[in-house]
Amino acid sequence: MAAFEDELLGLVPRLRRFAQALSRNAADADDLCQASFEKALNARAQWQPGTRMDSWMYRIMRNCWIDTARSRTRAAETFLPEEAGLEIGDDGARAIEARVGLGEVAAAMDRLPDEQREAVALVLVEGLAYKEAAAILDIPMGTLTSRLVRGRQALMATLGEAA
Amino acid sequence: MIPDDATLMAYADGELDALTAKRVERAIAADPALADMVAAHRALRDRLGQAFGTVAEEAVPARFAAMLASNVTPISPPVAPRPRRWIEAMAVAASLILAVAIGHQWQSGPVSVSGDRVVASGSLDHALDTQLASASGDTRMLVSFRDDRGSYCRVFATAAVDGIACRDQGQWVLRETRSPLHAGATDYRQAGSADAPLMASAQDMMKGDPLDAAAERRARDAGWR
Repeated sequence: MAAFEDELLGLVPRLRRFAQALSRNAADADDLCQASFEKALNARAQWQPGTRMDSWMYRIMRNCWIDTARSRTRAAETFLPEEAGLEIGDDGARAIEARVGLGEVAAAMDRLPDEQREAVALVLVEGLAYKEAAAILDIPMGTLTSRLVRGRQALMATLGEAA
Repeated sequence: MIPDDATLMAYADGELDALTAKRVERAIAADPALADMVAAHRALRDRLGQAFGTVAEEAVPARFAAMLASNVTPISPPVAPRPRRWIEAMAVAASLILAVAIGHQWQSGPVSVSGDRVVASGSLDHALDTQLASASGDTRMLVSFRDDRGSYCRVFATAAVDGIACRDQGQWVLRETRSPLHAGATDYRQAGSADAPLMASAQDMMKGDPLDAAAERRARDAGWR
């Protein structure tokens, strides 16, 4: 009866992680989740039971992200230091450590061109196989690998050798 | 063979076929710089996995849990307006009559009266005790949470009645019930109008976020104490 919602609910933690890997900050990530879930609920008739819902949802979320990222200015960057400060004020010691680590990585991700960022998010953050990631992005394997190589080189350069 | 960066990366990610992987291993054995490169790819992967992994470990925010549990496609504004008090009072009164009627009708019905309390019994009691929100079936658990007294509460939907039950002195006390809404003759359940007010009530009763799947399982295994 509600297998669709149940399955989608089970994917929420992974989808929030993917959204965070694509987005500049936590608020944008949750907005992206909200938009993606609304879209999925509206398009539920298009989902075929028995097929992979995670791939379907990654594709929906990626499309939502492209729609909003294009219209969004990069002004968000200006707010980063203040926001990071607020987060540190609110959280416990372990969370601070985790968030600061995330902040550095997220900032490095944000400097990647969109097409490299989405490839890195699917393979390195979500742990998908190259083939699955290429299918979701609708690009040939060779294109995916070259975007991954370039994205990784840029990340290594930003985050340092000790990665 | 001197592997290029794409091949080294694919090797680090476990994406190469066995034969190519063997060749890369031979090249790595002969050149420490290549080994360093593979190590760097793996370290980056670990670092990204750890940094974003914290997000996936957080509990599902209440608004997403409610959105996906209530089977309602949100149209702005997403939260349904609260019904007026007297309508609510009438709904509660009606549900008590329903509960008493059901309780008297069947000894093993889903609801019965214990002292001055309306409690879950029979199959509903069993489902509240054992069934996780991830399970599907005629009886479903929509969301589990703790109220401000720390008691576990669960929003449930059955063919006969929908409601919120909270654990109190070893019983599931029904805090709120509503008649379920069925969409015509099909078995497809349009839970919108019955469940949206319930989910709103649950939001009001809830302290913190709803239980995620792991926390719900732990609470069940501990007997909801």
